[in-house]
Amino acid sequence: MSVQFTGKVLTIATEIANNCQGLEAPFCQAECPMHTDAMGYVQLIREGKFDAAVQKIREKLFLPGTLGRICAHPCEKVCRREAEYGQSISIAALKRYAADKADREELWDTTFGHATGKTVAIVGSGPAGAQAAIDLRKEGHRVTIFERLPVLGGMLRVGIPAYRLPHAVLDFEYGYLDKLGVEIRRGVEVGKDIAIAHLREQYDAVILAHGAHIGMMPRVNGSDVAGITNAVEFLREIAFKRQSNVLGENVIVIGGGDVAMDCARSALRGGAKQVRLICLEKECDLPASKHEQESAAAEGVLFTFGWCVDDFLSTDGRVSGIRMKNCLAVIDETGRFNPRLGGDTHELQCDTVIFATGQRVADIADGMLKQTSGGRYLVDKDTLATDVPGVFVAGDAAGSTIAIEAMALGRKSAISVSRYLQGIGLTEGRNFALENSYKSKFEVPLPPDVVDLKRHHPNIMPAERRIQTFDECDLGLDDTTAFKEASRCLECECKDCMTECLMLNDFTHCPGELFSVFLAKGSIEAIVPYSCNMCNQCTLVCPKEYKLADAFAGMRKDFVKANKGKSPIKGHGAIDIHQRLSFSRAFTIRRKGRK
Amino acid sequence: MAIRRGFMPGCSLPSYSPANISKTIGFLQDVYPELSVVQKCCGKPTKALGQVDLLKARFGSLVQDIKHCEIDEIIVACQNCLNMLKESDEFQTVSLWERLPELGLPRELRGKAAQSDVVFSIHDSCPVRDTKGIHDGIRWTLAELGYKTVEPAQTRDRTRCCGFGGMIVPANPDLAKRVMDRRVKDMPTEHIVVYCAACRSSMLMGGGKAWHILDLLWGPVVTQASQPPENVLASPVKAWLNRYKSKAVINRTIT
Ligand SMILES: Cc1cc2nc3c(=O)[nH]c(=O)nc-3n(C[C@H](O)[C@H](O)[C@H](O)COP(=O)(O)OP(=O)(O)OC[C@H]3O[C@@H](n4cnc5c(N)ncnc54)[C@H](O)[C@@H]3O)c2cc1C
Repeated sequence: MSVQFTGKVLTIATEIANNCQGLEAPFCQAECPMHTDAMGYVQLIREGKFDAAVQKIREKLFLPGTLGRICAHPCEKVCRREAEYGQSISIAALKRYAADKADREELWDTTFGHATGKTVAIVGSGPAGAQAAIDLRKEGHRVTIFERLPVLGGMLRVGIPAYRLPHAVLDFEYGYLDKLGVEIRRGVEVGKDIAIAHLREQYDAVILAHGAHIGMMPRVNGSDVAGITNAVEFLREIAFKRQSNVLGENVIVIGGGDVAMDCARSALRGGAKQVRLICLEKECDLPASKHEQESAAAEGVLFTFGWCVDDFLSTDGRVSGIRMKNCLAVIDETGRFNPRLGGDTHELQCDTVIFATGQRVADIADGMLKQTSGGRYLVDKDTLATDVPGVFVAGDAAGSTIAIEAMALGRKSAISVSRYLQGIGLTEGRNFALENSYKSKFEVPLPPDVVDLKRHHPNIMPAERRIQTFDECDLGLDDTTAFKEASRCLECECKDCMTECLMLNDFTHCPGELFSVFLAKGSIEAIVPYSCNMCNQCTLVCPKEYKLADAFAGMRKDFVKANKGKSPIKGHGAIDIHQRLSFSRAFTIRRKGRK
Repeated sequence: MAIRRGFMPGCSLPSYSPANISKTIGFLQDVYPELSVVQKCCGKPTKALGQVDLLKARFGSLVQDIKHCEIDEIIVACQNCLNMLKESDEFQTVSLWERLPELGLPRELRGKAAQSDVVFSIHDSCPVRDTKGIHDGIRWTLAELGYKTVEPAQTRDRTRCCGFGGMIVPANPDLAKRVMDRRVKDMPTEHIVVYCAACRSSMLMGGGKAWHILDLLWGPVVTQASQPPENVLASPVKAWLNRYKSKAVINRTIT
């Protein structure tokens, strides 16, 4: 039976399909570039279902313990408790809690698709390369990662210091790559030991995910002396030896971001007696996260805000001090980074200088690919394709700046490669919005009984103890605190009608989905509208007061019209008879009362 | 000229209980000696199925009957009839349950159940979720009779469907049964009072012990030892026979 649905039905259906809150992801999940179901695992933690929580995290992230420690957690910035009360849920800390408590290899999904016979080369084992490798391996392609270093993990392993992310945690989680059968060739530097052109010939596709590993140093007079280094080199050395050959006793770190904090705090642990951080910005404009700045200060790092290094002083070929000028403004009128310096000068003594003033992407493609600012390769931002067919870029080399973004770009590149290998157009029918962070349109009023509850923090090792070692400072949440913290989640999802109505649950996850499918197909099983009790309980609880019953009633009319005036439901034959009798002479009567 | 009243019992009530029809008419006649009575369906099931054209014809025939009796104000015992008539805006329409407190109960019924050991949970009919006067009238009546009552969490304007709505029973019986079961579970006590015969049938199917408010009004006092009247509506033969008997009652009493 072909049913022509009328205007009214279509109008209601369209309104619901477009705006039903049941389809909206919670703020945290929409914002996460990998769209991790944070609300889901936070609920599971609250319920004490730790294995399930880990599995929920692992549906999206192969690095629960790692990201639980170091993720820049954009999710927390948009958490509804942040918006309402300025106190988001400690989402990252809860993720770490679940991972520490329950993650183990048996919980890992190590299945992968049938061999496709296609091969992919990936340069770099950082989060972007690893994520791309996992996704492609899952599809059955043969994947080989080329990693210059003897260790895996990229900046997570040789940038982020061990006191924030213990190597054992990262190494354990990277074990997943082995389980999936990703081939890893360590100690091979692409561009030197093997050319991209060569990889391009030997493999069906290539992804460059080699990060940004050139420590940038502004041109400063007198910098060609010993004792001056950059964050990338310094932290890499620290990662391997917990020591650095350059490091003296009196250290100056130049830069105001989190990388500068990592350098300063690592220098203290490496044995420096005094560490001072100098940056252009005023204290209030410091780019570093508050948490990092406070931790550094607590550990004894000194800060000099609003100065710019102008000159190096040296003795016997080693740096012995810096001369600085005061910085009046960091950003110019056009909004660009363009420091304006004043006439004041100041000198400070030191024996070591570490520049933490940004990282560049190295060109490993020998000019084959165009580069833009920071050395990043020029790519199609939606597909990460380069001008060279079959060559894609991911991670920091394509513009990410935090691990979770790098992973999302890794995933994006894998989607493109997968299409490329199957000969499917790179953009055809692809929803790019969902491959990236997006804003949730969730707008359901806060339940009236919600109150502000204070955010719980993990236990932190005291500062005096912290600087003695590279052991992890953050001791994590304990059971009671984790439970309390998980219980703060406002559960930003709209399931009110689904909780109220039994019928909807038999046919859909939410009305938005039901009507979207109806509109897309232009049809619906008759049993759906004919199962509605028309009780309007859904409307009663719906924050938008959608009248589903009206839509279903309209559909019924259209079914009847298409079915020669009869309901298409078999059982309704009985109602037909019932109605005929109810209007028949045999069972009706009208008696006029006396005058 | 005096307002002429009519009574419309609907479908499920006459199918359930000719005795309740008879007593209710008697009670109304005491107040309104000129009372007319119309027993016919309002066409709600036809409407629920989506049969627009048929509905127009059927509802039209009901309107004719009411007009024939020259009724100015029609008193209805069925919540669907009430809404259908109100929507059509042809007549002044009032629910029997709103009218009861205005008329007052016969003296001999007042406090008759004061000694009952039963606590009734009240199930409101969902089509009149927004008609507060009906909810109040029902509670007033129960209090007048002397019954103790309690409210489920979903009550009055938050009431839930009994499972009968939308003609889903023949379409999706399994679902209808689950809705019935749930509604019975909502009830804080074992004994349930309703003011729709179809709701009563649903409550019985959901495993509850349910009485129609007219059972309480005109029937024996309910105690813990009482069993609810059988589910007449579940048997088409009995239901149609009752409907016929109700017609006969009307034929006899309105002369
Ligand atoms: C000091 C520091 C601290 C950071 N802290 C945080 C943090 O707390 N939270 C956060 O979210 N992000 C942080 N970041 C950013 C985050 O580490 C990066 O965004 C992320 O690691 C980028 O991933 P990627 O895979 O693109 O590259 P990388 O992680 O940089 O990995 C690239 C890999 O490629 C290898 N490689 C490079 N060149 C070659 C070559 N020619 N041949 C073969 N292999 C090669 C490298 O050895 C490396 O293993 C930090 C970065 C730094 C530098």
